[in-house]
Amino acid sequence: MKQGNILGEVWNLPRGTSEIAGKDPGRYLQFNSHMVTFYQQTYGELSRFFLALREGKLLGARCRKCKQVLVPASTWHCPTCDFVEMEEVDLPHRGVLAATAPITIFPSASFIGEAPFARGYVDVATDARIASFLPSRLRTTTGLPRPGIFVKGVELKLVFEDDRIGAIRDIFWVPMSEVPARLRQKKPLLASALNFKNPPAPKVRKSREAAAALGEALAAMRALAGKVTKSPRAQKDLGGRKHVLGVTTGGGGFTLKIEKGALRVAADLAKKTDFVLVAEDPAVFSRWVADGSLTDAAVEGKLWLPSREAFGVLPILDRLPRSVRRDVK
Amino acid sequence: MNRVAIVGAGITDCRGRWVEATYWDLFQQATRRTLADAQVKAAEVDSVVYGIYNDIFEHQAIPESALTGILGMAEKPGTRVTSGGATGFYAMRTAIMEVASGLSDLVLCVGGEKATDCYDPQSKTATPMVIDTIAKSWDPFFEYPLGATASDSYMQMCMGYDDRYPGDIGDGLVRAKIIEMLCRQGNKNPFGQRRDETVTAEQVLASRWIIAPFLRLLEACMYTEGAAGILFASEKKAREISERTGVPPIWVKGVGAANESYQVGRGGSHKPLHSIVSDRVAAERAYAMAGVRPSDIPLVELHDAFVAQLMVTLGEMGFVPLGKTRKLVDDGVMADIRQLGDAGRPAKGQVLINPSGGLIFGGHFVGGSNMFSMWSARREMLRREIPLALIHGTGAINAVFGGAIVVEFEGGVR
Repeated sequence: MKQGNILGEVWNLPRGTSEIAGKDPGRYLQFNSHMVTFYQQTYGELSRFFLALREGKLLGARCRKCKQVLVPASTWHCPTCDFVEMEEVDLPHRGVLAATAPITIFPSASFIGEAPFARGYVDVATDARIASFLPSRLRTTTGLPRPGIFVKGVELKLVFEDDRIGAIRDIFWVPMSEVPARLRQKKPLLASALNFKNPPAPKVRKSREAAAALGEALAAMRALAGKVTKSPRAQKDLGGRKHVLGVTTGGGGFTLKIEKGALRVAADLAKKTDFVLVAEDPAVFSRWVADGSLTDAAVEGKLWLPSREAFGVLPILDRLPRSVRRDVK
Repeated sequence: MNRVAIVGAGITDCRGRWVEATYWDLFQQATRRTLADAQVKAAEVDSVVYGIYNDIFEHQAIPESALTGILGMAEKPGTRVTSGGATGFYAMRTAIMEVASGLSDLVLCVGGEKATDCYDPQSKTATPMVIDTIAKSWDPFFEYPLGATASDSYMQMCMGYDDRYPGDIGDGLVRAKIIEMLCRQGNKNPFGQRRDETVTAEQVLASRWIIAPFLRLLEACMYTEGAAGILFASEKKAREISERTGVPPIWVKGVGAANESYQVGRGGSHKPLHSIVSDRVAAERAYAMAGVRPSDIPLVELHDAFVAQLMVTLGEMGFVPLGKTRKLVDDGVMADIRQLGDAGRPAKGQVLINPSGGLIFGGHFVGGSNMFSMWSARREMLRREIPLALIHGTGAINAVFGGAIVVEFEGGVR
């Protein structure tokens, strides 16, 4: 499996020193530098766990005395029983989410591009009286992670990546309810057996209120679009971007087109789109124009997105109302 | 143990970035001010304890080595302490132990941070690199590769708490009102990073999500560059210095600390997800040593990484019931600075919480944040004649490090 290099070209700075202004008067300098080392980090005693992952198995360590199970096997000597040697235990491929999981939308520098993602603690050795939880990535086949999916107590199925290298990211968990019945007992279940591409869009309830709200949202977005061409900041936000975003709402569909620094609003759902977003309540878009945020709507679960690429467009759209407000009276 | 007193304190201006100073100068500024506050010369100090959280931020391994001479601490013992977010607490605990043991009569405890010289070439800002550096607090085998951040880990605790006690920290308006109160307090801190900002509950609720549903942008602590010093003295030395300065000593009455397991789980020694056990155990130990109850304490300076965590921590430390920490606002347990003014004491049943503005409005220079809290607690005790205060620190992934110190002002009004 091709892994690529540890650091990409972007992780660099030109040599040099530059002037920098602070809070106090006076001239100050800063110099470009770095503090980094590479590692060939041994997995040591943890190698057993990661070798097992490669083989499609989940290993834990069980104490013969107190019967506690460590998942993952973070040590092979029980810390509560005078470090007695622990035995290997083959763990089930199903678990329960131990607490509602946070969803990361602002990752650290090493994980930019992966957001939004969910990670949480999975209770795997549920038969043991004392057990540690496995920290894990959580995925859904229903679009991007959003509130209401990875809540405490939800039953999960362990999934293995098809290509495994011996790393914690060789595995992840999906809600058992999303796994077809015929695959629920499968060990190991490979990621390729599930469909993460083209998640089905959620159905929206149509209503007269929503139709009225859509009318308001369209008017607000058109007013915004009219100002975008006059706003240098908005022009900079859009840069050379080109997107066709379809939107389904409870009041009907519409399309947002971004091209040549312009935002265009069409009152119908275009046949050819980059992706289709879904919001039962069209007021999500009125709030966006009124200096709100589509990212926030997605984070709150009020705006459904099919993919990470769609999520990546939202911050650009979110900048527009603010840019326009600052530039156009 | 021998009695230990606080006889001096000093802090730098709290800034998002100090381009005018390296960490060498920040530590020296804090040292100068601390020693001047106690009218003490560097030569009189027996030893020094440094609170420095992270070599990567300071851009030097063994960063305290470069400070020794600059701070006037050459040829004295020097100990560097590093314990995540609780570095400041553990540095003070070390300094207190040194005086309590009789090994030293006068110990300078100085901590600080220079975090935002970090730079992320991708986004061309500091923040993602600062977050990534802190994220290296996770292990490289299991947790870091999942993309966890420090905010996630504190939010995971809040989510676990909310699973058990729904409707408490989950009310955004309650949290927003606490922010509004902390902001008013931060406005009164002459060294506070956000002293000129006005943040209303309405603005908090309109601010962007960092992690839904417990953390909006205006609910989070800052990154601060700055430093703070606390001077600890034996009883004899404290009386002597107090005579000199005319400022009464503040006595250390109780110190409690507890670190939970890194491994999260059920039962045994595992870290539970619904509770910050480290905060509870540390506070209980400090109360027991001091012979006080939380209801005796009118002033708390706690480590508020996020408002939801502030609520949980105050519950764990016994100031409000767990599951009903919203009483801070609903029942007015959190004293209102508008009513207290600059000299007033909280009424019975009320607590003055983070008059410094805390880590959200005042400053959060990690290695010295808990010294910043101690600096503020001493200042408020002296000017308001408050007899008892609690200083709290937390740190490390999933808030597993906890520390608490109870201090007493004998001239306080009970």
